[in-house]
Amino acid sequence: MDLSPIYVTVKLASLTTIILLIIGTPLAWWLSQTNSKLKILIESVVALPLVLPPTVLGFYLLIALSPDGFIGTLWSYVSDSSLSFSFTGLVIGSVIYSMPFVVQPLQASFEMVGKPLQQAAYTLGANRFDTFRSVVLPLSVRGFLVAITLGFAHTVGEFGVVLMIGGNIPDVTQVLSIVIYDHVEALEYSQAQSYSIGLILFSFIVLFITYSLNKKLMVRL
Amino acid sequence: MKVVYKKKLENFSLDVNFEIPETGITVLFGPSGSGKSSLLNFIAGLDENNLVEEAYCKFKGKILNDSGKAIKIKPWHRNIGYVFQDHRLFPNMTVRKNIEYGYKRRKGNLDTDLVIEKFKIKSLLNQYPEQLSGGEKQRVAMVRALMSRPDLLILDEPLAALDYQSRQELLPYIECIHQELTIPLIYVSHDIKEVLRLADYIIVIDQGNVLDKGDIEELCIKQPLMTQSEGASFILKGTVTQVFDDEGLVEINTGNQKLLVTDSDLKLQQPVRVLIYAREVSLCLSPPENSSILNCVPVEIESIENEVNGKLRVEAIMDKQRIVAMISKRSVSELELKKGCKAFAQFKATAMIK
Repeated sequence: MDLSPIYVTVKLASLTTIILLIIGTPLAWWLSQTNSKLKILIESVVALPLVLPPTVLGFYLLIALSPDGFIGTLWSYVSDSSLSFSFTGLVIGSVIYSMPFVVQPLQASFEMVGKPLQQAAYTLGANRFDTFRSVVLPLSVRGFLVAITLGFAHTVGEFGVVLMIGGNIPDVTQVLSIVIYDHVEALEYSQAQSYSIGLILFSFIVLFITYSLNKKLMVRL
Repeated sequence: MKVVYKKKLENFSLDVNFEIPETGITVLFGPSGSGKSSLLNFIAGLDENNLVEEAYCKFKGKILNDSGKAIKIKPWHRNIGYVFQDHRLFPNMTVRKNIEYGYKRRKGNLDTDLVIEKFKIKSLLNQYPEQLSGGEKQRVAMVRALMSRPDLLILDEPLAALDYQSRQELLPYIECIHQELTIPLIYVSHDIKEVLRLADYIIVIDQGNVLDKGDIEELCIKQPLMTQSEGASFILKGTVTQVFDDEGLVEINTGNQKLLVTDSDLKLQQPVRVLIYAREVSLCLSPPENSSILNCVPVEIESIENEVNGKLRVEAIMDKQRIVAMISKRSVSELELKKGCKAFAQFKATAMIK
């Protein structure tokens, strides 16, 4: 069995999750705190991947990532390489595609902590950032756990967007879901079977660990 | 402390302008939903900017708010402690971590061991908030606020969510903050018993306006809102000079007069307030003999005013303190009471507050 699709998949999901935590945390924090009219607009945009068919998203990403596209043009200032059918392009696509799975649980858990505890921290001499770090973050551990799990697992399970923008280049953009599809198309059921079972087991174990951790944390908080 | 605040609230406008002493206990008194909490949030710097028309707040010579000059000091720079109605302890931290939170973030002198001992929370230090009773949570919340060494402590109905027993247990702790730690307090309440016991200065608020303000003795006499259900009342201040344990009585010296009051919890030399309802006071021209009423003090009548139901409201001076009696018209005319008359006031020694 060729292990490279597994490697590419894990690398893609890990990178995507890390980037989403970096972008998603401040975004979710802003959404949880603001009274701005922009809030609903941003929330809707973030949630779009939940309802759009992956092919629609993939189609527009393909255009945006092309050398003449919006993201492609920006990228040309940074690097000479092309984004289309590259691993970097795949990461960008995954970040957008998995965004709601990270931002929504974080926003919900920040909102759960609520203004009252923040106000208490303010009156005890903690400024906004200090309050976020010392009160909000520790009370949002469960939200982060859910966000990381969903962000990672959802990227692993991605198919349509990858097919549209990543192509099927072995060792570079060929992820598990695509390999399975290829094997099924070629009627190589036993190979498809081994990857599929592996993926089922992996997903089950991740979810099992997450839910048991979640329960433990719930007891403590 | 000077406070000016004009803000549109949901159902009415908050419009206040007052000055309060920067020592002692100031009580904001008024019904629920009269704007008290909004006012507290403003003083603590926690209010939202929108719909504010005018805002000015000055404490200990430092300007905290001035909407004219766009000054608004952040709450974490104000050094104002806040005990909320709901304790707002951090659920993921032990009691120890909770009370260290503000201590670490602010500077100042405080005998932390004394506070922990006074508030009897030593045995709770390693517990989490959810393991505590309601009264314990509020005690910890008070310690947490005190540990940040505030220049002013705000308490927003800290006892409202507690049962009667816990309230009675907590009141002495609040007095302790004031007496032993000498931190000025702003205390919000709509419970008249708490107010009479704690307040040095009172601001009465209703529908976003200041109805009245002044020292407790002054306000008690003229503000019917305070003891509405019981009618008019007044307060006498004094110190305990003798305790008769077997009779359940204490003697209180109000200056030149001695009163006998039923209470067994008081200690010698303790400063006390005695609350007396005007309907329980009777007047006579000579001291009666063989009366069951223990207190009979000489007074000089100052004013007689009409009240409803054929009663007259008689105000008199006793020992430089003011007393009020509600007497029927007939008694007043039969005794020929008028301004400047010397008389004797009798009242039962049961109405007692600390």
